[in-house]
Amino acid sequence: MQTVEPVLACAPLPNVKEQGRFSPYTNNGGTVIAVAGKDFCVIAGDTRMSEGYSITSRNVSKVIQLTSKCVLASSGMQADIATLHKLLLIRLEQYKHQNGREMSTTSIAQLLGNTLYGKRFFPYYTFNVLGGVDDKGVGCAYSYDAVGSFERTPYSSSGTGQQLVQPLLDNQVAKKHQPNVLKVDVSAKEVEEFVRDAMTSAGERDIYTGDHVEVKTVTANGVVHQRFDLKFD
Amino acid sequence: MYATKSEYDRGVNTFSPEGRLFQVEYAIEAIKLGSTALGIKTSEGVILAVEKRVSSTLLESSSIEKIMEIDSHIGASMSGLIADARTMIEHGRVEAQNHRFNYDEPMKVEACTQALCDLALRFGEDRKKGEREEQMSRPFGVALLVAGVDETGPLLYHTDPSGTFVAFEAKAIGAASEGAQQTLIEKYTKSMTLSEAETLAVSVLKQVMEEQLTATNIEVASAEVATGKFTIYGKEKVESIIARV
Repeated sequence: MQTVEPVLACAPLPNVKEQGRFSPYTNNGGTVIAVAGKDFCVIAGDTRMSEGYSITSRNVSKVIQLTSKCVLASSGMQADIATLHKLLLIRLEQYKHQNGREMSTTSIAQLLGNTLYGKRFFPYYTFNVLGGVDDKGVGCAYSYDAVGSFERTPYSSSGTGQQLVQPLLDNQVAKKHQPNVLKVDVSAKEVEEFVRDAMTSAGERDIYTGDHVEVKTVTANGVVHQRFDLKFD
Repeated sequence: MYATKSEYDRGVNTFSPEGRLFQVEYAIEAIKLGSTALGIKTSEGVILAVEKRVSSTLLESSSIEKIMEIDSHIGASMSGLIADARTMIEHGRVEAQNHRFNYDEPMKVEACTQALCDLALRFGEDRKKGEREEQMSRPFGVALLVAGVDETGPLLYHTDPSGTFVAFEAKAIGAASEGAQQTLIEKYTKSMTLSEAETLAVSVLKQVMEEQLTATNIEVASAEVATGKFTIYGKEKVESIIARV
């Protein structure tokens, strides 16, 4: 048992190494997925929020509709996610006033990259997937790292269930390691069901993923929202 | 009773009892001393044409620049104090490039014009602490014709020292603007081709210029819908238009 000595105003500080360091980051868990189709994109995220082995909430959204053609899903630290989402909504509103139209999905992709890079040395602890339809009406998905590197990809996943979900996406969306299988155009309905299954699978093995899954489908006509139950344990 | 006008035309941010800002009005007057500039919008694009006053036979006319590019799809012609316009154009260029950096897309012509006008109203403002820019002592004495193409099509805007901007189908500014505008009203049609607009622009300049019109004492530029680009014409192109007039 360590004894605590009284610290005088002029006394030297106790050994700094034994003090608790300021630790600004925590991972609240969760899994997010985006899969782009020919003229649509499906974006999904679970609603569980965890802290260590505790579930702190079963109903916190990770998925946010940014415009009529763009949806963002983020995992990582919930406070940073909420701040990032709020900041983006403000930037989108300002853009709308200055430019007289909604920001395009490709522009949002760039804006998100710049916003993350703007905090290069104290990053938002967020792992984002962005999805929507571009100006030509083509479905698109973007994947990011925490400091703003980004890439347009046909599909993407992030978060604590990424290791479980990404190989499934590689195999079933990109048809990787299936030399005799041809890629065919799939409908939004099929992708929605597939993404829901992928989230269910993640919830089966990843303790940080569960409760509910929010699925948003973006087409040129707007965003359709669905919500399903995942495992509750 | 009302004080004399002279008491209210000193400060740049003092209204007269009639509600006028004399310094801004004088700045607008300054444009009427400038060389004539005009712009014509067609469905195929926008034409800008300006007169250059070559005051000496020894002056190298190529050093007089009255049409400048702001971004690859936006440009502007000017009349009045050209040095002031350079400050505005530089601001517009920075804003246009920032827009590309932030949003990975070209800036809309209206947004760019708004950015130029934002700067026009900064006179009389105190310099904010830590701001790099110098405080402005007076309004800009220049008017711009901003021409460009974006996803909404071809656009032509007129800006003045009060920071107001208005869209036009055809507009003339500068010393001979009244006569030139009258001719534009008579000759302009919505169905003009770009080539017809080139001819009209140069013929209006020819009509209002005191000197003999040559390829070296005018400047012509276009913002074309087909290419999406703003281009300042070379000497050969200008000569070929003059030959048509």
